[in-house]
Amino acid sequence: MPARLLILALALLLSACARGPDTDGLKIYRHSLGGAPSSLDPVQSATVYANHVVVNVYDTLYAYKYLKRPYELKPNLAAAMPEVSDDGLTYTIPIKKGVYFIDDPAFPGGKGREVTAADFVYSMKRHFDPKMRSQGAWLWAGRIEGLDAWKKAGAHYDQEVPGLRALDRYTIQIRLTRPYPQLIHTLAQGFSAIVPHEAVDYYGREFSVHPVGSGPFKLETFDSVRAVLVRNPKYRREPIDLAYEGYDPARHARYGIAGIEGKIPPLVDRLEIHFIKESLSRWNSFTKGDEIQYATIPKELLNEVLLQKQPKIVLRKRYADKYFMLAGLENGFVHTDFNMKDPAIGYNSDPERQKRNHALRCAIRYAFDWAERNRTFYNDMGFVFPGIIPPVVPEYDPDAPRDALEHNPDKGRRLLAENGWTADNLPTLTFGGVASVDSRQMFEQFRGWLLKIGYPREKVQFDSYASFGDYNRAVKQAKVMIIGMGWGLDYPDAQNTLQLFYGPNASPGSNASNFNDPEYNRLYEISSVMQPSPERTRLYRKMNRIVLDACVTISGLSRRNIYLWHKNVISYPDQSIVGGFHLKYVDVK
Amino acid sequence: MEILQYALRKFITGIPLILGVTFISFLLMVYFGPDKTYELAGKNATPEQIAEIRHQLGYDRPFLVRYGEYLRELVTLDFGYSDSTGERVSHILERTIPISLALILPGFVLGNLLGIALALVAAHHRGRWLDKLIMGGSVVGMSISFLIVIIAFQIIFCSNYGLGWFPVRGWNVYDFWDYLRYVTVPTLATVFVALGYNTRFYRAVLVEELGRDHVRTARAFGAPPAEVLFKHVLKNAMIPIITRIMFSIPFVVVSGALLIESYFGIPGVGLVTYDAITTGDQPVLKAVVGLTAVLFVLVLILNDIFYKLVDPRVSLQ
Repeated sequence: MPARLLILALALLLSACARGPDTDGLKIYRHSLGGAPSSLDPVQSATVYANHVVVNVYDTLYAYKYLKRPYELKPNLAAAMPEVSDDGLTYTIPIKKGVYFIDDPAFPGGKGREVTAADFVYSMKRHFDPKMRSQGAWLWAGRIEGLDAWKKAGAHYDQEVPGLRALDRYTIQIRLTRPYPQLIHTLAQGFSAIVPHEAVDYYGREFSVHPVGSGPFKLETFDSVRAVLVRNPKYRREPIDLAYEGYDPARHARYGIAGIEGKIPPLVDRLEIHFIKESLSRWNSFTKGDEIQYATIPKELLNEVLLQKQPKIVLRKRYADKYFMLAGLENGFVHTDFNMKDPAIGYNSDPERQKRNHALRCAIRYAFDWAERNRTFYNDMGFVFPGIIPPVVPEYDPDAPRDALEHNPDKGRRLLAENGWTADNLPTLTFGGVASVDSRQMFEQFRGWLLKIGYPREKVQFDSYASFGDYNRAVKQAKVMIIGMGWGLDYPDAQNTLQLFYGPNASPGSNASNFNDPEYNRLYEISSVMQPSPERTRLYRKMNRIVLDACVTISGLSRRNIYLWHKNVISYPDQSIVGGFHLKYVDVK
Repeated sequence: MEILQYALRKFITGIPLILGVTFISFLLMVYFGPDKTYELAGKNATPEQIAEIRHQLGYDRPFLVRYGEYLRELVTLDFGYSDSTGERVSHILERTIPISLALILPGFVLGNLLGIALALVAAHHRGRWLDKLIMGGSVVGMSISFLIVIIAFQIIFCSNYGLGWFPVRGWNVYDFWDYLRYVTVPTLATVFVALGYNTRFYRAVLVEELGRDHVRTARAFGAPPAEVLFKHVLKNAMIPIITRIMFSIPFVVVSGALLIESYFGIPGVGLVTYDAITTGDQPVLKAVVGLTAVLFVLVLILNDIFYKLVDPRVSLQ
């Protein structure tokens, strides 16, 4: 009996093991992320985590230049930037010849075939096939001629879409219903990655964990704690031209990036992306030396690792000797919105009450103390700016009036009194959030500020949700009164944040505040079809002002990210916009 | 034959238990669990798209129809595809359960064996300093949070701040040496925490047994202490010991060890289950809950059979 048990235990052990890969002599880079992707299907690559894998195993038509900031697009699978018709409605895009999908059992004989324009058309159609559960269709909904109608007609892939055609084997044509200047940005995102129909048919639902692409890497293994990618031997040989990629010696030389000039990506043989939610465990692994080579600093250790946080972030010597550091603002911001659908605080059928609600929201904004919020929750490293155009986009106005950021409880108290608000008639406010220590503390801080403008304590309550999913559902159903939100930019254009307050995008869309201002909507519609120009920037800033004047949001703060990586790694990390596009340029000494 | 008949009979009587557990847990999943719709809907979903997703997820179907579907899945062991990853649930479990077993088994076995050994020593020296020392140590083990133990052990044994002998994270297990490298610290952490509970429980059982007539008689006949402990005490105390061990098995097999897996970066079933709970991945949750319930019934059966094996007076009738 004991012998049998022993055999059973050994069998069990062996079943948990697998034959190990031969990694001797290989260049291996071990990256880390604070969360894990769920699906690797491009149509579902809605998170920065998923994009880290997706843009490295698949090709997109366009990509961002490795080092250029502000971001600049470049052709990736596309052979050139698109040819755009004068009316801005027709995009003609040539793609590179001789690009092949990886070898995979999905293809006849297991040999990957050439990527063609038809693959792009197929990949885009998938977003409008209800079976695919696309999370990116919103980028193109109502914008490409015939695509929505194709969906309504049953999403039959053999049916042509007039606005999405392969003119020949290597030429794509996209016809828009109205100008969409951000279209090229969307063609750099993981959502628009190009997949072969053979693999989708072969793997069915499990295509989400069996990516078959033509990107610089191919997936070897994927589970809840890591993805292992290996070099795609068929990846096209395009030497790195650093000047073209935006190399600036003043910013990049210290990281040794000059050393990759002329090399052919990907520069490592094996890329491991570790998904580590526990910041201390991630830090222990990072500082171990032979495990992950890239990490962020745990909040608890900031003072231990940093010598100085302001005005410049400086590492302590013992860390600076071992690690490179890059600190930058996130491509996004956090803000607190008022739900305008709630008559107690937003739009009201009684014009007088609506006016008083406006005063109430402005008074609450006067109570809000951004400096304290920054100190308490963002280590005083966040960047506070007025409105909804964050500093990372080119349309940001550094000279914009900062009155909307003013912390002035006396002014708030006066405003309430002038508009007839008393402790008795003030509405009960509910501040929504996930049941976490941080959310609760943010609420308590918020309530503390409101007490200073005369708000009775019992009239400020926390509306707690068990998970982000539950909270998100309540927000999408317009059930949350005061909404703490964060937004990560999909592309570096303020249109992406301005759409957060566009009336037709109201819940369940991304306009969580349900703001619906005719003038704002009109300007949004005008600017949304304009190419980047000073005039468009002027309209953007005007819209920003409308949102601020309406006191519909208390905004905003861009958090500062600090990245560290080992000194034997040559990298310039960027995990915000289209996370992970830099990984094919990472080298290991 | 008697055992087989008994097992069959017992399994049939266990079906209401499975139905009860699955019904209640499914009720909680459906009405109180996270709603996956908005996670899958994307940023600017229209009400039509939301309705489409709800339909695909089956949220728009009557509860009893969905529960019936769940039972069918449990019988056929086909739970479909994960709503999060799209991977077949059976593939997820096939991949993760062996890892969790390999991870937890050493700690489970050692925790129980050492617990019994320490309990025997403590019981034998009842009331004396050795007993007090062991019981004091047990209370310490029980009092420290598992999370703290994991973090402390990781720092002490794995990180560069400590000894740095073992990997901080990962499960690159390709041979027995790898296995030892990755499993040692999680096992130490598990044993450290489990030992306290096990020792106290087993000591209580053994002390009770020590006071029985047959033990006094054995001593009166001049049986040496070791014989008294192992032959007359331990053997007769096996029923509660087996019960405790057996009832831990379903958790070990299916639920895994979330904290251990999470902090040591081990892709086991505990992590998958936790993700399924927090994201509302019902196909995975249904599988885990259903299989745990079935395992419980099987364990109940095995438990009774083991009773019979260690104590022939126990009847399976």
